[in-house]
Amino acid sequence: MILLDAGPSDWVLFFGHFHPVLVHLPIGMLLIAVIMYFFASKKSVPYVFFWAFISAVFSCLMGWALSQSGEYDENTLFFHQWLGVAVAVLSGALAYMTAYWSQDAAMARLIKPFLFVSVALITLTGHFGGNLTHGSDYLTAYLPQPIRGWVGMEPRAEQGGANEPAIRKIANIEAALIYQDLVQPVLKQKCWSCHNAEKQKGKLRMDSPAFLMTGGEDGAIIKAGFPEESEIIKRLLLPDSDEHHMPPKGKPGFSEEEISILHWWLKEGADFKKKVKDASADAKIKTILKRYSSGESSGPYLSPVFKMSISEADESDVKDLQKLGLLVNPSAKDQPFLEVNAVNAYGLGDKELEALVNIQDQIVSLKLGKTKISDASMKQLATMPLLIFLALDHTKVSDKGLTSLEGLRYLESLNLYGTQVSDAGLASLAKIKSLKHLYVWQSKVTDAGLATFKKARPGVQVDNGFKGKWPLEIDTIRVEEKMK
Amino acid sequence: MEKIFKEAIEKEALLATRRHFLSSLGTGIGALAMGSFLGSCGTQSAVKTSSLKIPPHFGKAKSVIFLHMAGAPSQLELFDYKPVLAKFDGKECPKELIEGKKFAFIRGIPNLLGPKANFAQYGQAGHWISDHMPHLSTQADKITFLKGMYTDQFNHAPAQLLMHTGSARLGRPSMGSWVSYGLGSENENLPSFMVLASGGKNPDAGKSAWGSGFLPSIYQGVQCRSAGEPVLFIQNPAGVNTDIRKASIDAINAVNQETFQEFGDPETVARMGQYEMAYKMQSSVPEVMDISKEPAYIHELYGTKPGEEAFANNCLLARKMVEQGVRFVQLFDWGWDSHGTSKSGSVDWGLHQKCLETDRAISGLLIDLEQRGLLEETLIVWGGEFGRTPMQENREGKTQDYFGRDHHTDAFTMWLAGGGIKPGFSFGETDELGYATVNGKTSIYDLQATILHCLGIEHESFTFPFQGRNFRLTDVFGKVIQPILA
Ligand code: HEC
Repeated sequence: MILLDAGPSDWVLFFGHFHPVLVHLPIGMLLIAVIMYFFASKKSVPYVFFWAFISAVFSCLMGWALSQSGEYDENTLFFHQWLGVAVAVLSGALAYMTAYWSQDAAMARLIKPFLFVSVALITLTGHFGGNLTHGSDYLTAYLPQPIRGWVGMEPRAEQGGANEPAIRKIANIEAALIYQDLVQPVLKQKCWSCHNAEKQKGKLRMDSPAFLMTGGEDGAIIKAGFPEESEIIKRLLLPDSDEHHMPPKGKPGFSEEEISILHWWLKEGADFKKKVKDASADAKIKTILKRYSSGESSGPYLSPVFKMSISEADESDVKDLQKLGLLVNPSAKDQPFLEVNAVNAYGLGDKELEALVNIQDQIVSLKLGKTKISDASMKQLATMPLLIFLALDHTKVSDKGLTSLEGLRYLESLNLYGTQVSDAGLASLAKIKSLKHLYVWQSKVTDAGLATFKKARPGVQVDNGFKGKWPLEIDTIRVEEKMK
Repeated sequence: MEKIFKEAIEKEALLATRRHFLSSLGTGIGALAMGSFLGSCGTQSAVKTSSLKIPPHFGKAKSVIFLHMAGAPSQLELFDYKPVLAKFDGKECPKELIEGKKFAFIRGIPNLLGPKANFAQYGQAGHWISDHMPHLSTQADKITFLKGMYTDQFNHAPAQLLMHTGSARLGRPSMGSWVSYGLGSENENLPSFMVLASGGKNPDAGKSAWGSGFLPSIYQGVQCRSAGEPVLFIQNPAGVNTDIRKASIDAINAVNQETFQEFGDPETVARMGQYEMAYKMQSSVPEVMDISKEPAYIHELYGTKPGEEAFANNCLLARKMVEQGVRFVQLFDWGWDSHGTSKSGSVDWGLHQKCLETDRAISGLLIDLEQRGLLEETLIVWGGEFGRTPMQENREGKTQDYFGRDHHTDAFTMWLAGGGIKPGFSFGETDELGYATVNGKTSIYDLQATILHCLGIEHESFTFPFQGRNFRLTDVFGKVIQPILA
């Protein structure tokens, strides 16, 4: 039994792994032979075809060796294999034809069609080969948008897809299927790329319930009801540096929460039909489920602004602003978003601020604390569509100016500490739905105004300065008493 | 006059170091010069000083305040509550725990020592905090604990070096230097990395804990003093006024510029930057270091001691610096090494005194940053270089006169708050005796990777070529602690 099950010998696979290197020789030689036949001297063409033939034969042998690993989709493999053999045979034939038929006008006419066929065959073979290693969507994965639409492809997932949460929001979490709605999306995102119809690393497919239960070369990977004994969980929990950790090094792995949910599903019997409401969830699972139903992400939060694609600001405009003493810098490398800081330019006033107009579409953070700007500038700030962080502390800004800011759709943090802003100003700020942090210490805001605001916008963290008892009395005597 | 000439000639000779000599010989020894072509001998193209640089991804934190309690505070009396340890107070330590382990002072079989503090839970987070830190407990929901920290160094100096430079041996740049090298300074008149020490002593690791290692020396930490002249050696000498000073710096730098053009040594540029910075600091530093203009309620908040060298003053200064765009502020407070060999070195009375000096100040710092809108972009890190044993120290086989604990590497607690960190969270757990981490093991490198991450820097790709190899703060280790990121 063990003998029968033993896979191909290491030698076979060793040579097999040279296949992807070697295949490029016949491809190149064949194409150059065809080009030479049409555009250069025909004299040496047979030699080139001969060597294409030899290298094709070796490629085939090694390809066969590689296929013994059993990791590839059988259908695609079948076509790739036999097309490859056809290419080898054909290049041999072409070596013969170009050597002996060229003199004979009648026979020579047959050569050209064969040349065309050989080019077609090698293209197809290569294409199937590519699909085997990279997956069938590799070529078109980055097809740009309008064309995707024309050929009926789905729009591409946003960049950094694998790091995005696989599960966004599940409205009715109780009725959700544990496997289908909570487990499968994560497997699909993080495991299927190597365990699917075309590629079966470790002879394992994960892209359907049946395949999952079948397991891989070492047998079942799921032991229903016993997560700790299930290979699938064991692999996820291995240290990252372990060569058997899944997914392999460098690929985005499961988050703690995702592992907890998979663990839960296995413990609950690995039932593909079980609903959330029919399973017993402990506190930890309950918090995760609550998060899924509210749609807030578990990972670090990042403003949606950073996922937008916008044009870059003009370098000369940025330079001009820097001459004013402003710090103007991209939020991150290779990103168009700009952060502007006046820490070295407290003298900046409304007039100078107008210069920001040229980069207004790129500004995400604007720190104008302690500068000389006033309400007059607020209209201009309102035209910065992507503003997320805005600091106006110790400026002359007042309630009147704040009404202009209502339209800032992405504003998350607003610093009005040390300004003349009062309760009326808070009322206009309550309309900024994206707001998360508001600082109004040492402004004219009253406790009553604050209470009204908090009622309207309970999610916003408002800081009005520390009001508690300070310093606290310390019971030093008690500590002394306890001493040895 | 003659003297000056002689000195100039000597200086010139000094400049002709081996590398300059070889490279000026030209192609004959081209192979040797090859090294510097490849940028492997630390030679960098001109170093830009104090220009803001761009992080690889958006960093929520723009600056860091690292509060290092030098000597290593006892996690078991502060944040890592172990009721089971109290039950076994005075019993012999289980042999399995200490077999094959080395301690700095403990020999033979020590006795367990129960927590010498009262604990309660605080905030929505339900953090366990002891009565040594009453003020901090009011700020519990701002803090994220790392209770599963471990290190591999059980002596102060190497452990501190590891914490700040990523290596227990001398010679590597400190975290603050890396950060100012990576991000530059916001404020053009202040150094991007400043250091403040209190507790009557610099940390055991000395200045290397804020040195720039093989990075250009412009990035080393600038130590300021909260009592007396804030920075030594930047004031004008007697008889020299600001104009003369400026003129002479300009002249010196003109010569330096020529030297740089001739030799291309980046240290020349660093030196020029330092002269300029020293000149700017003459006015900017006294201003930022002056706490006398702060209102009374702020002094009250921190519990400052104006005119003295005090940790509370340093906390207030740290806030002022961050407010002014200083990138990395490193505080050291010496005196947390509670071995139990003296009253002040005990984990009850002694530790309590240290907490009295710091608890209110640190809490005040959190409150003050928050009310100024700075906490969301300032990362606060608190901790020591290692932890303390769950056992009473038995130096030389004798019981100590006071309650005390030895250095411990297997488990200790640190906390983070502010920019990029989930508030009111706890990561990592120790066993029932608080001896070892059972889950959420966090290495020093993980912590460093996380700090860099919050600033927008990927620790794995953030390197500097030196002696033929790309070096990074986290060496070849470290993983960002994802669960604690906000
Ligand atoms: C980059 C490709 C890749 C990705 C992505 C990947 N795997 Fe694998 N997987 C492999 C390879 C290669 C093997 C065979 C080598 C081994 O057993 O470690 C394997 C083997 C396995 C096996 C053992 C099968 C057996 O019976 O021996 C399991 C279980 C497994 N993977 C689970 C997963 C899970 C779960 C994920 C998603 C987190 C995943 N894999 C993602 C490449 C991948």
